[in-house]
Amino acid sequence: MSRLLGRRTLLALGVAALAAVPTFANPYVVFVGNQLMLYVILAVGLNILVGYAGQLAFANAAMFGIGAYGTGLLQVHFGVPYYAAAPAGALLAMLIGLAMAWPALRLSGLYLALATLAFAQFTLWVFLHWESVTFGAGGFKVPPPSFAPLPLPSNLGIYYLSLLAMAALVAIAWNVVRSRIGRAFVAIRDGEVAAQALGIDLFRYKAIAFGMSGLYAGIAGALHSALLNYVSPEGFDLFQMVLHKAMIVVGGLGSLAGSVVGATTLTLILEALREFKSTQEIAFGALLLVFVIFMPDGIVAALKQRLQGWEEPLRRVRGRPGAAAGAEARP
Amino acid sequence: MAGIRMWTLGLCAALAAGPAALAQTPGVTADSIKIGSFGPITGANYLYGKLAMNGVEVAFDEVNKQGGIHGRKLTLVREDDRCDPATAIAAVKKLIFQEQVFAISGGGCSNSAVAARDEVERAAVPWVVFAAVHDGITTPPAPTIFSTALTSSIESAAQVEFAVSQGAKRIAILSMRDSWGRARYAPLMEAFKKKGITPVADEEISPDANDATPQVLRLRQANPDAVILVVYPKPAAIFLRDATKFAFKPLTIGQSAIADPAAFEEQVALPGATSNFVTISQVRFSPSDPEMEKWRTAIEAKFPGDRLSVFNMFGIGSAQALMAALRAAGPDLTREKFVAAMAGLKDVKTDTYGGLITCSTTDHRCNKAPAWLKKEPGGPVKLVAVTPVE
Amino acid sequence: MLGYLVLSGITTGALYALVALGVVIVFKATGTVNFAHGDLFMIGGFLAFTFHVLMGLPYLVALALAVAAGFGIGILTDRIAFRPLMRANLVSLVLATVGFSFILKGIARSVWGGKADLFAFPPLISPDPIFLGPLIIIPQQLVAIGGAALVMGAFAAFFRLTRIGKMMQATADNPKAATLVGIRTDRVYMYAFGVGAAVAASAAVLMAPLTLLYPDIGFVLFIKGFAAAVLGGLSSLPGAVVGGLVVGVVEALAGGYINSSFLEVSAFVVIMVVLVLRPTGLFGATAVRRV
Repeated sequence: MSRLLGRRTLLALGVAALAAVPTFANPYVVFVGNQLMLYVILAVGLNILVGYAGQLAFANAAMFGIGAYGTGLLQVHFGVPYYAAAPAGALLAMLIGLAMAWPALRLSGLYLALATLAFAQFTLWVFLHWESVTFGAGGFKVPPPSFAPLPLPSNLGIYYLSLLAMAALVAIAWNVVRSRIGRAFVAIRDGEVAAQALGIDLFRYKAIAFGMSGLYAGIAGALHSALLNYVSPEGFDLFQMVLHKAMIVVGGLGSLAGSVVGATTLTLILEALREFKSTQEIAFGALLLVFVIFMPDGIVAALKQRLQGWEEPLRRVRGRPGAAAGAEARP
Repeated sequence: MAGIRMWTLGLCAALAAGPAALAQTPGVTADSIKIGSFGPITGANYLYGKLAMNGVEVAFDEVNKQGGIHGRKLTLVREDDRCDPATAIAAVKKLIFQEQVFAISGGGCSNSAVAARDEVERAAVPWVVFAAVHDGITTPPAPTIFSTALTSSIESAAQVEFAVSQGAKRIAILSMRDSWGRARYAPLMEAFKKKGITPVADEEISPDANDATPQVLRLRQANPDAVILVVYPKPAAIFLRDATKFAFKPLTIGQSAIADPAAFEEQVALPGATSNFVTISQVRFSPSDPEMEKWRTAIEAKFPGDRLSVFNMFGIGSAQALMAALRAAGPDLTREKFVAAMAGLKDVKTDTYGGLITCSTTDHRCNKAPAWLKKEPGGPVKLVAVTPVE
Repeated sequence: MLGYLVLSGITTGALYALVALGVVIVFKATGTVNFAHGDLFMIGGFLAFTFHVLMGLPYLVALALAVAAGFGIGILTDRIAFRPLMRANLVSLVLATVGFSFILKGIARSVWGGKADLFAFPPLISPDPIFLGPLIIIPQQLVAIGGAALVMGAFAAFFRLTRIGKMMQATADNPKAATLVGIRTDRVYMYAFGVGAAVAASAAVLMAPLTLLYPDIGFVLFIKGFAAAVLGGLSSLPGAVVGGLVVGVVEALAGGYINSSFLEVSAFVVIMVVLVLRPTGLFGATAVRRV
């Protein structure tokens, strides 16, 4: 039983299920499934920064936007094909993430929160005001990417590309948090002074954490622009930021499985709450409170108490590293 | 194991849903028509979604009470988009593929409506826009998409036209840099260019501004005869208050976001500050007008605690146009017939809109009659003119 | 022009300062920031509107009732979104208050949202403007600035002179030591949330005639107030006031001298720069460590 429900099996099952969705579900469900995968990428990236490295940053939605704008604008202004524009947009987000590590070296806690929040507001302002480049508040249309030799319409192409990206990025994150780098993150989170005493280069590891989360958000943004075929500032505001934060807290801070579970839970909750119509704000707020109060360490921590085989590296290290090996998350 | 069970469940559900959906026109049964709506129900822009939907619903109720249209009662399914394009696309997909609505009456925010357009066009579902104003929603026209809202280019042209007609030579702009404001700003600049006028000043204000002193001082330096406002009521009220403080009182020209001069005077709350203010409304009455008694009662009865607002009235007018087309489409309702009927609407009178609703196959902007409203301080709201724009 | 801009900046700054004051009071005692603080402002304003305009109670009674109700909602915030989470990490605490903020906004939208788009709160004294040479002053602005000064003074006195105020100071400085000398810190937390919300409500009653009321007024004010608080060092009451005034004046000057499109963003740019240069704000203790 515990073997069958092991994390690896479940992740593989999840990927297989997602791969099968377009064969039977209607386009609405496929769209939500695609959004879900982007949110998994965003949540994993943010959890590395907030949950593992302990940096209370509020700029993830802005990074998401930078990835989407970078990708879209390269296509629209310079006619760069999607395959080149998307990695470029993601890299741009990563570079800006790296640059943020510098002020983050001196700031902590709520001061870092506000500095990054101010940066996010500044980014939105640039999206709105640099009209000759960003097309301002009205946003702009992006051509749907073509998956030419493959017999896939654009929307399904994006769906499977997202699935591939998600599986690969989760696997990479898994390996990173199990490595020296992951241990350095946790050391920084648990005490910067102590971490330095252990010979950990704060700047280097903060830069890696900010860069990685920027890259993840950028990749999600690049996929987002192709999913919507439209980019505008609304999608990258503070509500989006709250959503990402909620995902990692509800799923479990400092847990990759938690990011996946949290992203899934919140995407589904948001869609399910549609039935509440005008009271959905109240219901959403109440659900956030309920999750935080009754599962303060996230869903994954609550699950762990019931299920075996859920130990994650760095949360509770046991003498069986083989059992917690990386996710074989391939479609 | 669980995976396999889920699979079977999913397949069964798909099979069960299949034949029923294929039977006839989606959303239409012998005694009902299902209309979908999307727009902001929550979030800061809920006025443009939730309240317009409330208007659509009371208009539907009135007709349903009299037996519906060709014996079919209308039902409304609401979906929230929070003014967010991604959420709007999800909402529209849900309405089309999951709820299987016959047509859509909705669209509250410019960007989310523009983002949703492709999806609606691809599925060839009829859509009557009730509040979003972006020109890109209806121009170039998509075969099944119509708008009964005054589109931004119409209002912007009317604003410039009005300023010029009042003899203004030096015209300045105060605008908001959000998607709504920009959807109007671009056509406003076009309208200026067409007239060969260059604005003497072009200032910006935030939707949440609590102070407009910098804007007032900058505008005052340019010494304009008229200021065109492309802003919501809140910044407009702050602006007029601060302008009055500096005894700066040019002709101030609003648009349909400030559609109720009576409420606006109360919001400005400074005697005489609104004496040079005139605004456009999509609707020809203020909600407090005696003519609106029927709808006031209807809204208050159905939504206890609410008061009739201009946003309700947008929905009422739009729903009445939609129902006129449903009636014209005849008892054997199909989407094709409905779209043809929409395109054929001619001089349809609604209870609320300023002018008559006329669509054609080539122009899907069906409302082109901005109504100019003015309220002398202390006096009643007066309809100054209805200026049809071509 | 400079004079006018500074004056208008101070008026808006007073509003930010009042919001920042509430943020600081909660932070000083509990070490967390209440992201629903702006929505407490909003609810306070709507309650005062209901008491004063809809129910016709006199202004001062409405003010007292709104402030009392604000205090109550603040205590509720403590009970619901803080006390169960005292030992949780900062992110969870912040998220809980964000959840509370959604609830308050949703409630306001369902209760008041259908009545009007913007609520005009009648000014406390006659709306007729006062002529002062070339400048006309709206009396409510003077009331707002005066009232803000009064509220700030009252809180300075509260922390200096009253027993509970001193206990709050002590708890903020060192919760463990405070417990040792017999201070019931959970009480202190509760009062901090209550008092913070009461400040928000009184700010709303003072400012509502100027800002107008709508369900989403809170968040933007909170962001500005939070910024002002951080600028002032997050734990200093005079710092919050100075921070608020600085943000207000910077906005007005940037809007007036550079371009009105820089008004909104100027505060954020200033904050980024200040925090990079002085990581704990202008008045913050140099060795704040709360990891």
